[in-house]
Amino acid sequence: MDVNLINPVIEAFNEVLSQFGFQEIKKNNLQLSSSTISYSGVLLNISIVGTVKGVILIGMSEADAEKFASKMMMGMPVTALDDMSKSALSEMSNMVCANACTHFNKINIKNLNISPPTLLISESNSQATIPVDQAVIVTFLCDGLKVNLYIGLV
Amino acid sequence: MSLKFMIVDDSPFSRTMMSDMLKAGGYEVVGEADSLETALATYEKVQPDIVTMDIAMPKHNGFDISKALLHKNPQLKIILSSSMKDEDMEQEARRLGISGYIQKPVEEDRLYTLIEKIMAPDTLFDNLMGLALPVAQESLSQNLTSMIKQPVSFSDAGILSQTYLSRGITAVIGIIGQYSGTLMIDVASDTAASITQAILKRKDVSSEEVIEMSSELANIIAGRACSMLNKQEKSFGLQVSPPSIFHGKSLELVNPCLVMKKIIAHCDYGEILLSIGFKRGKTLWM
Repeated sequence: MDVNLINPVIEAFNEVLSQFGFQEIKKNNLQLSSSTISYSGVLLNISIVGTVKGVILIGMSEADAEKFASKMMMGMPVTALDDMSKSALSEMSNMVCANACTHFNKINIKNLNISPPTLLISESNSQATIPVDQAVIVTFLCDGLKVNLYIGLV
Repeated sequence: MSLKFMIVDDSPFSRTMMSDMLKAGGYEVVGEADSLETALATYEKVQPDIVTMDIAMPKHNGFDISKALLHKNPQLKIILSSSMKDEDMEQEARRLGISGYIQKPVEEDRLYTLIEKIMAPDTLFDNLMGLALPVAQESLSQNLTSMIKQPVSFSDAGILSQTYLSRGITAVIGIIGQYSGTLMIDVASDTAASITQAILKRKDVSSEEVIEMSSELANIIAGRACSMLNKQEKSFGLQVSPPSIFHGKSLELVNPCLVMKKIIAHCDYGEILLSIGFKRGKTLWM
């Protein structure tokens, strides 16, 4: 996958999470994946349509998602993913993708639009088959919380 | 009760001009701000209905301040104003959820018309929401019948619950256009396998083939539905993304931004849930 399609998403992820008060956003790992991704826990799916198309997904364990949502909501305790915390996580994914489009715009990749996010919660090992042959999985540690950013764009 | 406005602009002269224009139109100006900090503080205090926002400001521009205000209140109506008008700004504003855009120098009549449009019930959206499910249903019916050579019936039309438990295989398709939305098709694994067997005319089908069939069927249904909707109303301008397919046990799906309408399709191989919803809010330009 073209590196020009990866960096804007990573930059957007860093920017948006900083805005939510995450102090340390550390890129831990970057790997290629086939079109089928295994995951458990929370996965947020946003489609991108335009001169570049595909999906961006953000995944984390349910326990980390609760802590992530709590951080987004100024430390309000989150003991289970309720409507408010699901909404917060969805909004985060929406902001990351919208921000990514702004970064794409700066490198002359224009006319991109994003769909509303779908949030998935899986108790056990589930799969997502995304509409690209290859995806890049970037693993971050965000103040100790493990977050996977899946970028499947062509 | 008249609408309450907050004006954000670093130029005192521009703020005065906007304020005079709004008051002349019978609107109430409840606050003014010239920076990110004062905008946030003033917003908390005055809770306006609409914010007018200049784009070009030192330190934080109108987009930055709009993002911060929309983070506080995603439903807040913001009108951006700028001497420039270009496609990039338009796209950026759409993505942010800005309600309207007016070019400087601001003309009174254009401003009042924009305000009326922003506050008017969104009949185009209501039209889309009225048409979306029946058209998607028709698309599913035509395409599935054509592929499996069997009649399809429907029942249980309604609203999808906020949290939905997948039957086994769920296709999620993003839709963009004048409004953005999502179409979902959900089916049990054995139903999907039976449909794949019927289409490929053989018993022996792999799990990959079942996923590919689910993806292709969803893609065709969504694409055809959006074409049919666009034919009914050109200004919808809908396009579909390729599908993401989710499969696994105990898979819960949530679409927090949308009201999703749903219906169940019945064929000899089992049931298929079809769901579609759109996000309210589009940007108006003057």
